[in-house]
Formats: sequence, structure tokens, C-alpha cells
Amino acid sequence: MKRRILLAALIAARAHGEANPDLGGVWLPDHAADIGAKQNVPFEPLAKAKFEENSGKTSETDARCLPPGVPRIMLMARPFEIVQMPSRILFMYEGGGHVWRQVWMDGRGHPEDPNPDWLGHSIGHWERDTLVVDTVGFNDRTWLDDAGHPHTDKLHVIERFTRTSPGAMQYEVVIDDPGAYTRSWSASTTFVFRPGDKLSEDICLDKISK
Amino acid sequence: MKSSFAIGAVWLAIAAGSYSQQPNQQKLAKDPGPFLPGFGSEQDKPSAATAGPAPHLPDGRPDFGGNGAWYPGFNGNLAETKWKGVKSADRHVDVPFLPWTLQLFNERVGNFSKDDPEAKCLPVGVPRFMFDPYPFQIIQTANQVIFVFEGDNYLWRIVELDPKGRHRANLKPAWLGDAVGHYEGDTLVVDVAGFNGLAWLDQAGHATSDKLHLTERYTRTDSLTLKYEVTIDDPGAYSKPWTAYNTVHWRPGMELMENICQEDEKSSIHMIGNTKK
Repeated sequence: MKRRILLAALIAARAHGEANPDLGGVWLPDHAADIGAKQNVPFEPLAKAKFEENSGKTSETDARCLPPGVPRIMLMARPFEIVQMPSRILFMYEGGGHVWRQVWMDGRGHPEDPNPDWLGHSIGHWERDTLVVDTVGFNDRTWLDDAGHPHTDKLHVIERFTRTSPGAMQYEVVIDDPGAYTRSWSASTTFVFRPGDKLSEDICLDKISK
Repeated sequence: MKSSFAIGAVWLAIAAGSYSQQPNQQKLAKDPGPFLPGFGSEQDKPSAATAGPAPHLPDGRPDFGGNGAWYPGFNGNLAETKWKGVKSADRHVDVPFLPWTLQLFNERVGNFSKDDPEAKCLPVGVPRFMFDPYPFQIIQTANQVIFVFEGDNYLWRIVELDPKGRHRANLKPAWLGDAVGHYEGDTLVVDVAGFNGLAWLDQAGHATSDKLHLTERYTRTDSLTLKYEVTIDDPGAYSKPWTAYNTVHWRPGMELMENICQEDEKSSIHMIGNTKK
């Protein structure tokens, strides 16, 4: 029934010339703490050693209130808000240092030599009803998830956001990092729509600074 | 009885002593002068582009966005027109300090603002982001106005639109406060409450208390100019409400970059303040 309502809404939106689904609003991820748990992660030996070293520890990013990076910031049990514009999509995160992220939708490519960022340089496009976001330009200091899957600055992330019903979004992420993994691998989780919710202020540094 | 009288006498002596040093009789600290030769002279100039009329959204509301960003430049003191050798706020204000905020302001100026929360990568908060040398953008949706900042640790700020000005229930003490706004003609009016009392209003060191309540007014007077007025109503820190003013310039084509303050923050613990006391 819900699906039929969504379909009707989509058809109505199309009729009004609004070609793309509306992902705007507050979403809460289903916490994915270990994206390698149910699969054979194609580690390079150094990445395997790093993962074992990280295991059970607190990440540097958490200890020092640095941004969690991508995709980890999408996998934590903390809400985020999407604001959708034709040329840009913004993500604002309650967790992970109160940071935001922008996805360019204006057809630009990545810079030839992107800055090594915590959240990378993101460009997106629509494939039917799925938002596809391509991100490069990472530093090598974040973890892919709470479990401590590492990455290098060769990390390239492809995220796919599909609103499968008014209340839910499917999130799939492909990890492509020839510096850490022998082939690309993927993980997924879901986001629950939280209409009417408002993000709260949570300044991580309050907990560690004097 | 005797001892309680003695304690009372000591207390009276202390009280009288501190009263005679009433900070109200302190002189307001003076501008410490340029802290970096030439700082602010080039970067704070307005854009060379020619201004057009202030844009509007299709529904008639003022448009605070476009292809570019707002850049306040360095304005170190929101009550002075010049501070540290460069242009500061638009108008001088005689700040109605309470004794403790005057004393603290003078200490902070005398100490070169060594305890500035911004130096420790904490949020500068509101209204200081409108006086701080980091660009920001304003994004308007049907029911929100969103600020995204490059500096101040790459933060976002959401203003919920509500003509009735209703704040969320159970406000928690925060750096940015809880913001609700509405449009009055071409002006966005934002009411902010729920502060933690830790933020400085400016780099100079005007203090706040957790009773801080702000009324902000944003008006885009032409395509390149944003006029900002903020009324600071903080009975815990000032004897009456006062208003500060600034002009923020549009930088056509400017895009915001990721800026993570604490990435390599190693300097704040080494700030020792003024050694020539």
C-alpha cells in the first residue's frame, strides 16, 4: 500500500516536471558498526594488519573530535538532514563534530588534484530514482566504520541512495581503494525517515577541551 | 558569637574593599593595535563587481543565496568601528557592561584573547560568525534557513521558520542556540535562545551568560551587500539590551572548502597571553 502511494506520488511529481525524487528531511541510519562482518573483505596485507591493530580501539577521529569520514558518517546511529537543491545536495550531521557535506549536482567533475579532505570531494547524478554520489580526495586518517576498516588516500567511494518508500531509504556503498583492498567491495544499510525531527547541537570538543 | 562577629567584620572589609575597586569605575580597555602588520587590509576589501538590485525568490521573499558566498572579513570588536588596526563593526556602541563583564573584557583584551574558544576550535557561535573572517552561505527552503560555514570548524546552523517564534521545548545550553525566524518584508528576523554562556561575542572578548537572547536582522540591501543587526539581550552580562551592526560583502563565485580546525591544532596550549603586566 505504502509503495503504491509512493508510486502515485512519483508519477504526480513527474507530471509536474520534477524529475527527481525528494530525499529532503531528517534521516536516522540503521547503525552499521562493522561493514565487513558478513563477507570476505578483500584486504591487502597491510590493510589487514592495520584492521587488526584498530580492532577494539577508539579511532583517532573520535578521540580528537575529527570528522568520521565517508562512509562511516553515514553509518552511525545519529541523525542527519538532507537539503536538496538542483545544483547541490547538502548533508548536515548531528554526530561527528557538527559538520556538513556538499555533493555537487551541476555536472562538474572532480578536481584534477583534490585536497586531501576528511569528507572528500563529492559529485552526484541521478540514475532513475537513485542518487549516485562519487567521492574522491580523502586523507588516510579515518576509518570506514566503527570496527576500524582502514583506507588509504586512494579511496574512491560510490554511494547509492534510493528512497524505497516514504519512510525508508536504501543506502549502498562501494569501497574502491587499491591501496588497501585487492578489489572493490560493498556494504549497505537503511535510513529511516524522521519527519518533524530537528537536529540537536552536539559539539564533540565540549567533552575533551577545557 | 564573638567569632561570628569577627567573620562578619572580615566579610564587610572584603566587601568594602572589592566595592572600592568596582569594575564599573574601571576604564574600558583600549584597542591593543594591529596584531599582524597589514592584516585585513587586502582581504577585507569588498568585491570589485558592480552591485545590482537585491535578488528575490519567485515567491517574493528576499534571496540570500546565489553563486557565491558571504565574507565578513575580520571585525574583532562588535562595539567599535576600528579594532586591531582594521575596520570593525559599522557603529560604535557604549556597551552597558555589568561589572563582571567589563572586568572580564578588560582582562581578555589585556591578555591578547589567549583563552578565546575559537583558538581551541570551539564554535564561535552567534553573532560572532557575522564578524569573523570565514565565508559562509545561506540556503533558504520553504520552512528553514540554513547557514553553512567554511570556518568555525565547518559547521552548519539551521533556523526553523515560524512566524510565532516558538522555540523547541526543553532548550539545552548550546554554542549556537536554538534559532527560529520569519521574514519581515525584505528582512529575515531570527530569534535565538538557549545559549551555554561560554561563547565570546567577538575576538576582543565581550562575554555572554546563559541568559543570552538574540534578535538578528538580515537584510540584503543590494546584490553584494548584507546588512546585519543584532540585539544582545543578556541580563546576566549587560544592564540593558544593546545592538551591534555589521556589513557583510558578497564574493561572487566563491565556493566553500572543507576546513577542520582541530586537524592539526597544537597552538592554543602555548598561548601565554600578556607577559608584560
